[in-house]
Amino acid sequence: MNAGLIEFLLRRAVGFVSVLLVLSLMIFVLARVVPGDPARMALGPAASQDQVDRMRAQMGLDEPLPVQYVNFLGGAVRGDFGTSLISGRDVTTEVLGLLPATLELVLATLALMLLFGVPLGVLAARYRNRWADTVLRLVSLVGVTMPAFLAAILLQLFAAYFLMDWPILGRLDRSMGMPAGPTGLLTIDGLLLGRPDVTLSALQHLAFPALALSLSGIAQIMRITRSAMIEHQRRDHVQTLRSFGVPGRVVTFRYLLKLSSVAPLTIMGLEFASLIGNAFVVEMVFAWGGFASYGLESILQKDLNAIMAVVMLSGLFFVVANLAIDVLIGLIDPRLRMKGGR
Amino acid sequence: MATAEPHGADAPVQILSARRMAWLRFRSNPVAVIGALMVLSVLFCVAFAPWITPYPAHSGNVLDFANRHAAPSADHWLGTDKVGRDIFTRVIYGFRISLLLVVGVLGVAVPVGAALGLAAGYFGGRTEFAITGFTNVMLAIPPLVMALAVGNILNPNLINAMIAIALLWWTWHARLVYRVAKSVAAEDFIEAARLAGASHWHILTREILPNCVAVISVKTTLDAAFIILFGATLSFLGLGVRPPTPDLGSMVADGRQFLPEMWWGVLGPALGIFYATLGFNLLGDGLRDMFDVEV
Repeated sequence: MNAGLIEFLLRRAVGFVSVLLVLSLMIFVLARVVPGDPARMALGPAASQDQVDRMRAQMGLDEPLPVQYVNFLGGAVRGDFGTSLISGRDVTTEVLGLLPATLELVLATLALMLLFGVPLGVLAARYRNRWADTVLRLVSLVGVTMPAFLAAILLQLFAAYFLMDWPILGRLDRSMGMPAGPTGLLTIDGLLLGRPDVTLSALQHLAFPALALSLSGIAQIMRITRSAMIEHQRRDHVQTLRSFGVPGRVVTFRYLLKLSSVAPLTIMGLEFASLIGNAFVVEMVFAWGGFASYGLESILQKDLNAIMAVVMLSGLFFVVANLAIDVLIGLIDPRLRMKGGR
Repeated sequence: MATAEPHGADAPVQILSARRMAWLRFRSNPVAVIGALMVLSVLFCVAFAPWITPYPAHSGNVLDFANRHAAPSADHWLGTDKVGRDIFTRVIYGFRISLLLVVGVLGVAVPVGAALGLAAGYFGGRTEFAITGFTNVMLAIPPLVMALAVGNILNPNLINAMIAIALLWWTWHARLVYRVAKSVAAEDFIEAARLAGASHWHILTREILPNCVAVISVKTTLDAAFIILFGATLSFLGLGVRPPTPDLGSMVADGRQFLPEMWWGVLGPALGIFYATLGFNLLGDGLRDMFDVEV
């Protein structure tokens, strides 16, 4: 790490903090302008006005709005979003319990996106305008035009029809219970606890939801990788390598791929926002029972505190993912380290 | 207009206008032409739905239990749904809702985004800093999560879905227009216009904006496909249009309950979504090649 990279990362970090601030302001305003009293919602129609008033005071709703916002922000920083208006339990505890499920799904999706998207893009670029390229471009078009919920339904149907014993709902076989591992990621916990059967079952359950979620990302990454590879192929330094007799394979994988990996990584960062959104749908179809399912449920039930937590955490996901990607890009691309910015 | 001249030795060299060149390039791209035809057919369906669908009444609250869950046949090309309504008819009507959403969102998002992008690119300085900063912040908000939250906290219906999507959608246009406007603003002809005493308004709308039309039109076409998907996703989750209004997303959700036996309940609306988004995507790709811009 040198000064340029650190400056670059610091600048990005400031940007990301402001993202979260604006997001918090938006969701707060939204949650407070809606007609309907959260205290009344939490207590139900049978509660007396007196009880509602006490609840309002307890929830801090009798304070002026700016004070409420500061309280909300302070709570959010400490990870405290109050109690769910529906279940009455602590929102943060509820969400934390569900986070590993979604995390596992998202990580698997990202892995699939890179595992398929980049090599296929390289393939398309190498066989540009030949049949392999044409086929891949058509496939990527399908990937872009297919909404995640349709992909999920179709894959589920495929599994149910053609792979008789393949599990299509949930994260794990019921008979295995829910092993309490240290990470909450079932695939990893299975290994840590010395239960390969758990890991295997978890991977089986994971395959189709992750595939459904990754389709559009694979298509996007493939497209970007292809065009980046083609663009770099024309450059002088690549021509020079070739004219020195460096084998095509080495040029492609050691030089071109490194140059061309910045664009797909950037796209992955932007894609992350829609990935979080699509996780809502995919988790619903596969009864995944993660953070996104919880979010959808709390939105449908107008559980304001839970909604605020879900929206803020979605934003945090996005920000953290992009920060990680920026570090990666900074490590790959020396130009960024030198200039300390784009 | 270029006229067909014989290519003799002293035939004058033809200079084609930029517009004509672009059209020729578009016409020679079969994918773009197919996309354009698909989009036109969708627009045709939207405009003439009551006249071209076999059962226009089925777009509403019709119950025909005798015909429920009928498989695709000559009478019902895509079969019927759980209360016996013709799915083909409802898919065509579903296009209406999809396109309404597209027009509603883009009608707000494109002008707002373009205006902010222009201002940021042209004025520079603090304006640029504020607008690009705000745009980048808004870009980072997961759109579906926000649309779900906004739509449902307010009230889940088409108008609120539109508001929720438009609230975030302008950012993409702001970013694109900003990039073009910034590079155009540095050109000499802008300086010349300024020296000639042209107002900011004149320069923004007459000198810079025409240079942004290409990116805006490509992005808008591709957006249409995204918004159709987005709207379908919202209503699939039960947060878009209310029944009995036919919407592609909620039809998929309805049909899903009867999988795998009554597969046509999902197939019809799925094909509808696929057809519309594919058309807009192909057309957008074609326009992108034609204008030779990066979006």
